[in-house]
Amino acid sequence: MNDNVIIKTEDLCKHYRGGVIRALDGVSAEIKKGEVVVVIGPSGSGKSTFLRSLNLLEIPTSGKILFEDVDITNPKLDVNVYRRKMGMVFQHFNLFPHMTILRNMTIAPMKLLKKTKEEAEAKALELLKLVGLEDRAESYPSQLSGGQKQRVAIVRALCMEPEVMLFDEPTSALDPEMVGEVLDVMKNLAESGMTMLVVTHEMGFAREVASRVIFMDEGQIIEEGTPADIFENPQNSRTQSFLSKVL
Amino acid sequence: MEWFNKWLDTLYNTFMVDQRYMTIVSGFEKTIVITFGALLIGVIIGTIVAIIKVFADGNKKLKILDVICNIYLTVIRGTPVVVQLLIAFFIIFVSAKDGTMVAIITFGVNSGAYVAETIRSGIMAVDSGQNEAGRALGFSKLRTMQYIILPQAFKNILPAIGNEMIALLKETSVAGYVAVVDITKAANQIKNTTYDQINPIMLVALIYLILVIGLTKLLNVFERRLRKSER
Ligand SMILES: Nc1ncnc2c1ncn2[C@@H]1O[C@H](COP(=O)(O)OP(=O)(O)OP(=O)(O)O)[C@@H](O)[C@H]1O
Ligand SMILES: [Mg+2]
Repeated sequence: MNDNVIIKTEDLCKHYRGGVIRALDGVSAEIKKGEVVVVIGPSGSGKSTFLRSLNLLEIPTSGKILFEDVDITNPKLDVNVYRRKMGMVFQHFNLFPHMTILRNMTIAPMKLLKKTKEEAEAKALELLKLVGLEDRAESYPSQLSGGQKQRVAIVRALCMEPEVMLFDEPTSALDPEMVGEVLDVMKNLAESGMTMLVVTHEMGFAREVASRVIFMDEGQIIEEGTPADIFENPQNSRTQSFLSKVL
Repeated sequence: MEWFNKWLDTLYNTFMVDQRYMTIVSGFEKTIVITFGALLIGVIIGTIVAIIKVFADGNKKLKILDVICNIYLTVIRGTPVVVQLLIAFFIIFVSAKDGTMVAIITFGVNSGAYVAETIRSGIMAVDSGQNEAGRALGFSKLRTMQYIILPQAFKNILPAIGNEMIALLKETSVAGYVAVVDITKAANQIKNTTYDQINPIMLVALIYLILVIGLTKLLNVFERRLRKSER
């Protein structure tokens, strides 16, 4: 097996109401180290469900998820250990409102990775600096703009030193003028070699940053390829009709 | 002004002779100790029950604990606190000489049943994204609850906890049933020794009233502060 593969799913299914709703309907995919995979598709096509299954925020109905060759759907495994290796960024940021930005970023490394306060804070401040927010360390989330919150959410996840980052529509809840600052951070992250899986409607980002684009519809992967393949030369009629609407 | 001087004389006889006011003072202390002790126990039990109920929702493994919690809630809410006090003192803790500890435990266990529902609703009111963010970072269910959900839930329900404290303060006035000389019982004792049917009881009523008004004011200030910090 290719040891460059970080995450591999095999025939992943997530059904609701006994199979009436098939949010995921047999998804087999691979994400290799250093890849930036962008997932696109119409609303309700299962993009979020796919992403959230990977760190088991949704428990798949059937199928396998191999994280570095370990099947993490095995109920005997401690999923918390694997979640630490997968950073996740949400549409609505989900910062902890009762903690300062610094605390938001240090609590998990301190409690879970047993880092000292000094180590965790040094790392957090270094990352905050990278996203231009080092002067907001002592602020509370409510004092930040949406774009700032999302940048903090990204570096909060990075504080755990994950092997892969999952983004679920990270810019969809932002005012248009703040989208750019978040995409820039993600672009820099991609350039630094981070493995990323990004659900987004930002086709410009997909074109420019993605190493691979996956088009999903009705819980299935319909088509995948390089941005050039997908955007310039889509093969499937569903891909074509989706792109004609969003581009 | 004749009646006024006469009233002062009565007050002197009732409260000052033999330092009877000390009974009121120590009764006041008991009332406060029982109230806060019970509140503490109530919040601890309420938190545990609330967490079990939240976790048991959709987890079959916790079914038994959930059933136990439901029995507790039903029994406690289905019987008067005075009866619970009598059961505790005369049936469960038979060897207890001083009823104070028994009263603290009973009022605490009683309060827990009511606080549990408050805390549970406070937990449910926290955005589900908070739980997801905690879990996604790798925190277990329980740690996510501890570090992320509960602090926010408590902030939401602090006013309700304050109201519970006020309710408890008044409820503890039945502690005299189990040989506890709280402030109400103290007034009753002075009434019986001095045959002053009016002043001891009125004084105690006044003390309760002032305490409740004071606590309510304090709570309102606190609540306003909380609102402000939420922006
Ligand atoms: N808890 C649930 N119960 C029932 N159906 C659900 C549940 N969660 C998701 N679904 C359904 O699963 C399907 C896929 O949802 P999902 O959120 O993954 O779509 P999506 O591609 O992320 O859409 P969007 O672009 O709107 O975010 C949808 O039809 C949705 O209604
Ligand atoms: Mg979605």
